[in-house]
Amino acid sequence: MESESKRKKESPNTAELAVTASFPDEVLEIVLSLLTSHRDRSSVSLVCKDWYRAERWSRTQVFIGNCYSVSPEILTRRFPNIRSVTLKGKPRFSDFNLVPPNWGADIHAWLVAFAVKYPFLEELRLKRMAVSDESLEFLASNFPNFKLLSLLSCDGFSTDGLAAIATHCKNLTELDIQENGIEDSSGSWLSCFPESFTSLEVLNFANLTSEVNTDALERLVSRCKSLKVLKVNKSISLEQLQRLLVRAPQLEELGTGSFLQDLTARPYADLESAFNNCKNIHTLSGLWEAVPLYLPALYNSCANLTFLNLSYTALQSGEFAKLVVHCPRLRRLWVLDTVEDKGLEAVGSNCPLLEELRVFPADPFDEEIIHGVTEEGFVAVSFGCRRLHYVLYFCRQMTNAAVATIVQNCPNFTHFRLCIMTPGLPDYLTNEPMDEAFGAVVKTCSKLQRLSVSGLLTDLTFEYIGKYAKNLETLSVAFAGRSDRGMQCVLEGCPKLRKLEIRDCPFGNEALLSGLEKYESMRSLWMSACNVTMNACRRLAKQMPRLNVEVMKEDGSDDSQADKVYIYRTVAGPRRDAPPSVLTL
Amino acid sequence: MELQLGLALPNHNNPSAGNGVGFKSRKDAANKRSFQEAFGNYKIRDELQMMPLLLWSGPPDEEDDDRKGQKKRNSCNNINKNEEEGEELVVGWPPIQSWRKKSLLHGQHPQQGQVGRRVSKFVKVKMEGVGIARKINLSLYNSFETLANSLIHMFATYQKSEKRGVRYTLTYQDKEGDWLIAGDVPWQTFIESVQRLEILRCGAVESRP
Repeated sequence: MESESKRKKESPNTAELAVTASFPDEVLEIVLSLLTSHRDRSSVSLVCKDWYRAERWSRTQVFIGNCYSVSPEILTRRFPNIRSVTLKGKPRFSDFNLVPPNWGADIHAWLVAFAVKYPFLEELRLKRMAVSDESLEFLASNFPNFKLLSLLSCDGFSTDGLAAIATHCKNLTELDIQENGIEDSSGSWLSCFPESFTSLEVLNFANLTSEVNTDALERLVSRCKSLKVLKVNKSISLEQLQRLLVRAPQLEELGTGSFLQDLTARPYADLESAFNNCKNIHTLSGLWEAVPLYLPALYNSCANLTFLNLSYTALQSGEFAKLVVHCPRLRRLWVLDTVEDKGLEAVGSNCPLLEELRVFPADPFDEEIIHGVTEEGFVAVSFGCRRLHYVLYFCRQMTNAAVATIVQNCPNFTHFRLCIMTPGLPDYLTNEPMDEAFGAVVKTCSKLQRLSVSGLLTDLTFEYIGKYAKNLETLSVAFAGRSDRGMQCVLEGCPKLRKLEIRDCPFGNEALLSGLEKYESMRSLWMSACNVTMNACRRLAKQMPRLNVEVMKEDGSDDSQADKVYIYRTVAGPRRDAPPSVLTL
Repeated sequence: MELQLGLALPNHNNPSAGNGVGFKSRKDAANKRSFQEAFGNYKIRDELQMMPLLLWSGPPDEEDDDRKGQKKRNSCNNINKNEEEGEELVVGWPPIQSWRKKSLLHGQHPQQGQVGRRVSKFVKVKMEGVGIARKINLSLYNSFETLANSLIHMFATYQKSEKRGVRYTLTYQDKEGDWLIAGDVPWQTFIESVQRLEILRCGAVESRP
C-alpha cells in the first residue's frame, strides 16, 4: 500500500496522472481502507484532493494526541465513518501533580458530538482525560455497538459509571480500567453484567481497590469463553484466583490478585495445577504482596512468559533470581528496585531475549534507606540482553562510564529514560556532570525516539542532543542545563521533536522565543519553574496564532513570571473550558 | 552528630539554620526567585560544593525518634507533604505516577483485612554498627525463628568483618515507645505492637565485658 501511494506521488508521466485521475473512488477507498497506520494515512491525505476525499471516507480509526488540537466539530466534519477513537488529554506532567485540578480535557463534549455523528462508535481509548459518571452513563446508553472502553490515567469517575457500562453495553468485548484516580466506592459494578452477557474478551480492573462479588466474577469468567485477558485486583485471594483459572484455561494475559495467603498443601497444589493448565499465558502481572513461598506455583507458567510485571511486588534479589531463572523467553520486565543489582545480574544471565526493562523505586521518598539499584545492575543487564531497546531506570547513583558501556552493548535504544533520583547529582566516581553519559546515548543510539535525562547536566548535554539525536521525538528534562543555549540547541537541532517537557531549568525567554517556528511542527511544549515571563508568552501568542499558549498561575506568585507554560498547536483556536487558574494568552 | 547528605548544587543564599534546599516547589510562593538566583552560577569540579539537603540534628521528634536521639528534620521551606503520607521534597519528583505511589504506600501500612488473610506490615530494621537500615514485611513470617533466620540472611553481609561467635539480640520498639527483647510475648501479640526492630550485640544488652 505504502509503495503504491509513493509510486503514484513520484510519477511525472502525464499519461499516468490521467489514469490516477479516473481511478474510481470506491476502489481507491477499498485500497486505502487497508491502511492502518495513522502516519501513512496522513501522508496519503496530502497527495491530492481525490486521495484526501477517499482517505477521509475510508478512515475508521482516529488517533488524537492532544484533545485540544482539534474540536469535535472539526473531527466529525472531516471523518464521517469513525468507529474507533483514541484521545489523549492532559499534559504528561499531570501524572506527577504538576497540573491544577479541573484543568480540562473533559470527554463529555466529544461524546455528545459522537452520539450524533458516530452512533456506531465501537471503541474509545482515553488517556489523561476527565471522565465523569454522567459521561460513562451517556456512553453506555447512546452507542448500541459499543465494544471497547480503555481508560488510562483518567479521573473524575467512580465505580457507578462502570456499573452503567456493565449494565448497558451488550456487545462489550473489552473493559480496561488502568491507573486511574477514581472513587472506588464499591465492587458491585461487576455484578451488573447481565447473566446473558458473554462477549467479554478483556477485563482489567487491577487498580481498583474495593472487593467485587467473587461469585459474580466466577460466573462471568465461566460464561465468557473468549476471555483472553483477566487482570483482577488485590481483593481477590489466591484461592479465588485458582477457581478463576480453572474456569478460564484459555487465558493469555493474567493479572493476579493478592499473592499473600496462608495456603495449606492441598490448595497450593491446586493452584500450581491451575497455573499449569493455563498453557497460553504469556503476560503476568499483579502478584501483590507475593510471598516467595508460593512463587514456585508459577514456575511452569513462566517458561512461556514474554511480559512479567512485578512492579507491585517487593521481591528481594534471591527470590527474584530464583524466579527469573524460569523465564528464558522474557521480552518485557517491570520490577521494583528491591531486587537490587544482584537481581538484575540474574536477568542478564537468564533473559537473552529481553527488549524492555523498567525498574521502579520501592521507596522513592525515604532518604534513610539507601538501597535499590545502581549503575552495576544496569550494566549487567546490558551485557546479557543485547536486544534491549526500551529502558526506564530509577536509581540513586550513576556514572558516565557505565552509561557508555551500556549503550555500547545495546546500541538499539529507542527509549532511554534514566532517572537519577537526587536532582543534579553528578557522576559519583568522578564528580563530573553526566553530560558524557547522555552524549554517548545520542551518539550511539541513532534510533532514539524518547529520552529522559537526569543528574547534573550542563548545556553540553543539550548540544549533544541537538547535534546527534536526529530521530528524537520526546524529550523530558528536569533540573538541568545552564543557560538558554541548552534549550536552543535542542529546538534547532532535533528535526523530529514532537514533545518537549521541561521543569526546573534555567531556560528563559530567549530560549522560549527561539522555537517560534518549531512549535507548529510539535505536538506540545511544557515549561514549568523555568525563567519564562508573561510578556514573552504574550509575545509568542501574538506572533503564532495557530498555537495555544496557556499559563498556569500559582497562588501568590510574581505576576510577571510564567510559572507553568503549556504551548500546543491547534486548529481549534483557544479553548473555552479553561479553569480560572489557566490563562490563555 | 551531624550527617550530611550532599547535593551538588550550591545554594548561594546563606543557609539559615537548617535551610539547605534550593529547589522550588509549588508552595514556595513567598520565596519565589529565578533559577539563577537560587542556584547561582557555579563552576564544576574543584569549586563544586556539596550542600546539605537534610540536616540531622536537633531535639527528638515525637514521631520519628530513634534511640540515639537523632532526628530527621526536613528543614527547608519547600516541603510539600504528599497527602498519602509519603513525603516529597520537591513536588512531582521523582516522577512517579500518583496511583503507583498510592499502591506502594498502601502496601506498607497495616490495613483492615479480611479474616484469614494477612496484610503487609513493613517495619524498619536497624543493626547496631550498621549505618544503613532495611525494611522487612513482618506479615510474611509466622514465628520468631523464621524472622530471625531471615534477618540473619539479610544482614549477613554486614557481619563480614565481625569476629566469629559474636551474638546478637533482636529487640523491638512497641506501640508505647518502649524497647523490649523479641520473644517474650507470643508472636501474635508481638506482631500487633511492633513498630521497629533493632539488632543489638549481646554485650550491649547484658552489659557483659
